[in-house]
Amino acid sequence: MGDGTSIGRVRGLGSSHHGAHHWLTHRFTAIANLVLMSWFVFSLVLLGDYSHASVTGWISQPRSSVAMMLLVANVFWHAQMGLTVLIEDYVHNSGTKFGALTLLNLAAVGGGAFCIFNVATLAFGA
Amino acid sequence: MLVSILHRATGDGMAVVGLALLVWWLGALASGPEAYETFTWFMTTPIGYLFMVGLTWAFFTHMMSGLRHFVLDIGAGYELDTNKMWSILSPVIAIVLTVGLWTFLLLRDGGLG
Repeated sequence: MGDGTSIGRVRGLGSSHHGAHHWLTHRFTAIANLVLMSWFVFSLVLLGDYSHASVTGWISQPRSSVAMMLLVANVFWHAQMGLTVLIEDYVHNSGTKFGALTLLNLAAVGGGAFCIFNVATLAFGA
Repeated sequence: MLVSILHRATGDGMAVVGLALLVWWLGALASGPEAYETFTWFMTTPIGYLFMVGLTWAFFTHMMSGLRHFVLDIGAGYELDTNKMWSILSPVIAIVLTVGLWTFLLLRDGGLG
């Protein structure tokens, strides 16, 4: 912070140069989501029979499990980015913001890992 | 304005509610038929259907406004009439897709449950 002149007050507070990367990654994951979620919705609609045997039979095929794992990773990533922006926009107290972002990242990584593990369990027929 | 709010609300709504249900669905599938039974029981209650139809609507709304964002991000579609037309059409197409999908599912599977 400077001596109170206009330029001094803003110098060093400008772009942290991380915004573009976040913004672009949000778009890249959005494109992958469009592909993976279209696959997911079509597959579920075409499946028709939603019994345990039918759904596990479908999801344990290698093609489905790989797509499902990619979907989980990508959707959790994209969701984490969206919720990060939400928190940054509405939580202004820096301590609360830090706590909220920490909880969000724990939940996103934990939830994603749990989902991928379950798909793997089904794929390897445990 | 409304499309922008809808985009954020549906996206963050799905991020919380949709992912919680995804975690439950995959966890129940891997746990076995009994746990899956509990999941399908809940999802076929009126509240469960509200979640499923709501998430379908949120998905299509977010998808349509997301596609609109892609066009705007490359610098196209800022003419007033074009911009206005797609801001109205995006949420309307999402509702049409939601109603269409659930009409198809309910007609094919012969009603609820």
